[in-house]
Amino acid sequence: MHMAIDSKLRTCETHVLAVQEKFPYQIKETQWVSEDQVCITVDGDSAPDIIAFLYYERGGWMPFMAGNDERQLNGHFALYYLLSMEEEDPGYIHVRVEVERETGEFKAVSPKVPAAVWSEREVQDMFGLKAVGIIDDRNLCLPDDWPMDVHPLRKDSMDYRYRPMPTRELEDYEFLKDTGDHETTTVPMGPLHITSDEPGHFRLYVEGENIIDADYRMFFVHRGMEKCAESRMNYDSVPFLAERICGICGFAHSTAYAQSIEAAQGIEVPLRAQVIRAIILETERLHSHLLNLGLVCHFSGFDTGFQHFFRVREQSMDLAEMLTGARKTYGLNLIGGVRRDILAEQKLETLKYLDNLAADAQRLVDELVSTPNFINRAKGIGILDPKVARDYSPVGPTVRGSGFARDVRWVHPFAGYKSIADKHEPITQDSCDVLGRTLVRIGEFTDSIHIIQELLETDLPEGPILNDRWTYVPHRYALAATEAPRGEDMHWSMIGDNQKCYRWRAKASTYSNWPVLRSMFRGNTLSDAALIVGSLDPCYSCTERVTVVDVKKNKEQTLTRQQLEDYCCDRRHSPLEI
Amino acid sequence: MLKTLREILRTGNATAGYPFEPLERPTDARGKPEHDPVACIGCAACAVACPPNAIQMKIDVEAGTTTWSINYGRCVYCGRCEEICPLGAITLSKEFELAVMDKNDLEETSTYKLQACAECGRYYATAKEVDYATRLLSQNNGGLEAQQAADLTGYCPACKQKADAYRAKRRDETMRYRKPITSGGEPG
Repeated sequence: MHMAIDSKLRTCETHVLAVQEKFPYQIKETQWVSEDQVCITVDGDSAPDIIAFLYYERGGWMPFMAGNDERQLNGHFALYYLLSMEEEDPGYIHVRVEVERETGEFKAVSPKVPAAVWSEREVQDMFGLKAVGIIDDRNLCLPDDWPMDVHPLRKDSMDYRYRPMPTRELEDYEFLKDTGDHETTTVPMGPLHITSDEPGHFRLYVEGENIIDADYRMFFVHRGMEKCAESRMNYDSVPFLAERICGICGFAHSTAYAQSIEAAQGIEVPLRAQVIRAIILETERLHSHLLNLGLVCHFSGFDTGFQHFFRVREQSMDLAEMLTGARKTYGLNLIGGVRRDILAEQKLETLKYLDNLAADAQRLVDELVSTPNFINRAKGIGILDPKVARDYSPVGPTVRGSGFARDVRWVHPFAGYKSIADKHEPITQDSCDVLGRTLVRIGEFTDSIHIIQELLETDLPEGPILNDRWTYVPHRYALAATEAPRGEDMHWSMIGDNQKCYRWRAKASTYSNWPVLRSMFRGNTLSDAALIVGSLDPCYSCTERVTVVDVKKNKEQTLTRQQLEDYCCDRRHSPLEI
Repeated sequence: MLKTLREILRTGNATAGYPFEPLERPTDARGKPEHDPVACIGCAACAVACPPNAIQMKIDVEAGTTTWSINYGRCVYCGRCEEICPLGAITLSKEFELAVMDKNDLEETSTYKLQACAECGRYYATAKEVDYATRLLSQNNGGLEAQQAADLTGYCPACKQKADAYRAKRRDETMRYRKPITSGGEPG
């Protein structure tokens, strides 16, 4: 899609030169960690300005920042602010900042680039570092009763099996509330939430039916996977753990992990394996998008549609089972390739499945978009302002629904997408609402079917599927991204000298999408809340009950999940009026 | 509305009869790993490869045995064991109905005798593994080196190392006796 301006320069070198020119003598070291990734170590004090420059003036987006306890290696903690350069000279830049071990203080980047806020909160929790000037100083991952001096990801802090005793009873997490002079009622959703399937706690501040502000808290089921991988698993069994990060887009995670090690170690993955990865990734997208379309039907009160989307989705699950041996958790990736080939008869069978799927889904989609009820329900709801989107780097259909053409598959083509990248482009919508995000998913579903057909019919090269002849070099690191159905999954990994990950940082797509949710809630009504959250297609959870708090009368009332969900579906009998 | 109705009529009954009738799974579906204790030599390759540690080996020095075990509650059906096994002693079946009333029923074990080193008497591998290695090395296509190795399978790695070191030393001394080192040496 893009070409480097001067072919003699390496990928991303124009950005490095631009930084050198604008901030002379601030880059301490420049090193290409792989073909399209460069790591620049910069002075901590100028890091926020350099990152803001790359982000806003050079077309960068920030998926996340990875902290690393490198005291055993070079005496410092290190932070890797990862930038995905998506305009001219596309590639990835790791902006590395060393943090002194004694003070653990560094200058926060989030005041300049808000996209860094969750990652900075996370390193404060996990490594006990201090982001000076951070825009949101609350804890993110650790619970309120966690001992203040235990920072799980420090190499010298704790065993992965250690479960510290709670230190206090008090829960004093402060929820943000910016409601002006409105008199609001607080509606908490969760500790477990009404739509999908993982816990999150939401507080909606409502005036009548209108949401004035909202805040939320996550990480109730932090599983400590990174710690477990670093201390217990071998680097080559981590793909199987990565696959279990998410029940829907597991393969995207295991591919991202495998690719990050392959990039760091310079392993050449056989072409056939790359294409097989792409085919399976698209198969995963098929079932995930059908699931979300079904849920959107459900939240807009069209339950027949929900049932039918799920019926059709079953074909994509069967397809995955036929190709990989399981409906989910395909267990296909190893470092250097894949474990299972696609045979000639499987290819024919797949093409047959795709024809049926395309026809069945098309009928349902026609039905959905010609239902006036649905259009009324989704149009203009849950607006994601492009300006907010630019500041926070959300991903997937969420950002594409707001007009940004961000899609790893076509911006940084990887695996089997390289060979077809010139024939496709990100599918976007400009309406910024729930409808826009749904239409993006509908478009991508059809596109996915075409991708699999193209790859199977013309672009599946002959040859081996696994390369296990490579040299293990400890302490090399790299990142890799895949486009999961919900957006970009990105993994940053460094392997150690003991056949284990020295540091593995996995970012799920929804991690990038939560921070913008607050602004999407504002100005909508209570009955739209579940629909808006559902339009992110988030990975989180379902609850049994919701408590409604009327702050003025100091009265509490507990609603069942069914009541709130019913209200979202048919919008009659507001639970607040009971 | 009409479209919806048409779709419903077109679909008919989409529900599978399972569990009242068997569920068809594709040919290569991954299910319960089946262990063949007779073919297995207890080499522990599967225990090393198993990502969730569902397969484990436990040595009992008193009894001179090692016990191979699999816990189906931990198994993730990835099939690494099947891939890695040198004897095809473990294969994934299509069986997926593994629910049990008693948790202990999720575990299966096989116990193998250990082989003591002919020199130091320490256990170093299962008897079946040593036997397998001996048979493999004694096949007549291995040549002299393989035959020499086959003669030494009854010794543990540490003793073999010692013996090697001793032999090397002897050889060195003999060489010295035969050809004294001249000043300047020889080009290597």
